[in-house]
Amino acid sequence: MNKKLLSLLLVFALATTLLAGCAAPATTTAAEATDVANGETTIAADAKAYKVAMILDTTIADGGWGAASYNAMVAAAEATGFETQYTDGIASADFATNLRSYCDLGFDLIITPGNQYSDAVNEVSVDYPDVHFAILNGKIETANVVSMLPNAEQIGYMAGALAGLMTKSNNIGFIGGMELDTTKMKLQSYEAAAKAVNPAVVVASAYAGSFSDSAKGKEIANSMISVNDVDVMFGDASAVDSGAREALAEHEGRYDIGQPADLVKIKPMPVLISSVVTDNASMMKIVMEDVKSGTYGNKTIFGDLANGTLSVGTFSDKVPADVQAKYLEIIEQIKAGTFIQ
Amino acid sequence: MDIFLSLPFLQELLLSTLRMATPILIVALAELYSERAGLVNIGLDGIMAFGALAGFLVSYQTGNPYLGILAGALGGILVNLVYAFGTIQLGAQQIVFGMAINIFAPAIASFIYKMAFGSSSSLAQATLMAAIPIPGLSRIPFIGDVFFNHTPIVYLTFLLVPITYVFFAKTIPGLNYKSVGEYPKAAESSGIHVVMVKYKASIICGALAGIGGAYLTTSYISTYSDGVVSGRGFIALTAVIFGRWMPGGILLAALFFGFTDALQLRFQVMNSKTPYQLLAMIPYISTLFALIFFGIKKAGPASSGKPYFREER
Repeated sequence: MNKKLLSLLLVFALATTLLAGCAAPATTTAAEATDVANGETTIAADAKAYKVAMILDTTIADGGWGAASYNAMVAAAEATGFETQYTDGIASADFATNLRSYCDLGFDLIITPGNQYSDAVNEVSVDYPDVHFAILNGKIETANVVSMLPNAEQIGYMAGALAGLMTKSNNIGFIGGMELDTTKMKLQSYEAAAKAVNPAVVVASAYAGSFSDSAKGKEIANSMISVNDVDVMFGDASAVDSGAREALAEHEGRYDIGQPADLVKIKPMPVLISSVVTDNASMMKIVMEDVKSGTYGNKTIFGDLANGTLSVGTFSDKVPADVQAKYLEIIEQIKAGTFIQ
Repeated sequence: MDIFLSLPFLQELLLSTLRMATPILIVALAELYSERAGLVNIGLDGIMAFGALAGFLVSYQTGNPYLGILAGALGGILVNLVYAFGTIQLGAQQIVFGMAINIFAPAIASFIYKMAFGSSSSLAQATLMAAIPIPGLSRIPFIGDVFFNHTPIVYLTFLLVPITYVFFAKTIPGLNYKSVGEYPKAAESSGIHVVMVKYKASIICGALAGIGGAYLTTSYISTYSDGVVSGRGFIALTAVIFGRWMPGGILLAALFFGFTDALQLRFQVMNSKTPYQLLAMIPYISTLFALIFFGIKKAGPASSGKPYFREER
């Protein structure tokens, strides 16, 4: 009996550890949801109140992707007059259930911030043709599903060019959270751009297998510094990146490039030299306008340098003026599509 | 591949091993204290998450990471008392209660963090605990930096291993404590207050696991984000079984986890072409193999996992 219990426990422990990355705590916003429902009845008297919801697997306080996506929704909703609601910390298995709940609560638009929600959106959107869905970094286009796609290639180019210009040791690093299509694309073009501006550059890369294990981010950055003498890094892993920044900050002359918000402007740190800024709010605003005007569906909203969705963040004083000028020149080339053919 | 033999590489690898093993070791010891009193606590991950938040908040507010560690311990005790009440007083299923802790404690931590800091695009940063080199010993070349230049929590954690060994193997209170996990009825008949020992065990377990969580956010990195624990509580649970419920064994298990994880990160950095999933599996695969080869011959406490009803025959 004891033996059985033990082996059961062990198997369970190992299995859970493997899954622990995705097993974020489930926060219920049922109480908040009813609040909104109550509020809605009073508002509905004068005009139709549009409502938008977001579901997230991370939390909105992760200091990275989750926070940026949520803040973008709130900003876009303020501009277009939508009411917002969110549920975060949802496990993959519960994506569809949560989407259905928001459909049943009468929400007009549901935004999912990532490609990992595509399957759930695909499944639910068929059953609720009147509800509008939007997927950030998605690829699906149907009558009621719209995708928003910031150009991952350009993001990689922008970070890679700056890293290539700034590195003194000719070793630069990249940390990925999970091996998503967009992350792979960013790594690939990061490497290509760095080599284009500085052919001697060698890129070290690693995946943390998580978006929240900041301690591991610190270890990865430490090993990149000690093994490869990496002095400029870029990451696509939310909270893991902030751990990496801590390791870089412990050494003189080692820098990080932030994303997706303008981190140098929000909170200057000696280690941050600049950011690749993605303005998700402008894309979400287009989505919300489409819902209101009834022209929703069958499209992908691309976000790139040309339409202002991507932009160069504030530089810190660590970036010399001539490097800035050279970098902005390259940005123009990326924008025009003449940088790397 | 001569890089493997270079001294700086080995030094960094060992340092990284110790850093990564510390939270696992202290939480595994927490579990040992719990299981020795017959309480299988699988809620370690949850207790750690709450400890990490409590530690971070206090260290952020006061600027003193030591107070943060203390708060982590208190927070851990608080959460674990819920488990203690359910399993000791009410005789509930320990696995079920442990799982419940794993679900509710991180959610509460997440809620409190959101209340305190909102959804900013950057994480709040607290003061990081400084390393205190041990005078003299830290000057020894190579070894000094690896073993004697850490935060006090690391020393405390590794000191706890011999202390725990002596306590359970050589002292009368330790043997009494152990008897509660082996055969509580016999323990009760020889005058040991079984329920009291179990509560004490829960307090020790909560405090140590809470410190393990707070270590992450006060001594390892200076920020808190949801999921910062990342399953370390479950690895600690495995380390107890892997280490055969012996403090020395648990030490080896924790170091083994730390070492394989540190090694796989370096493999990834050195060789970007290999699929990272393969390398990330190394710690878990090697554990499975180690368990197969060691076999489960010496099992844990006999009454572990069973509720104790005092008046039952």
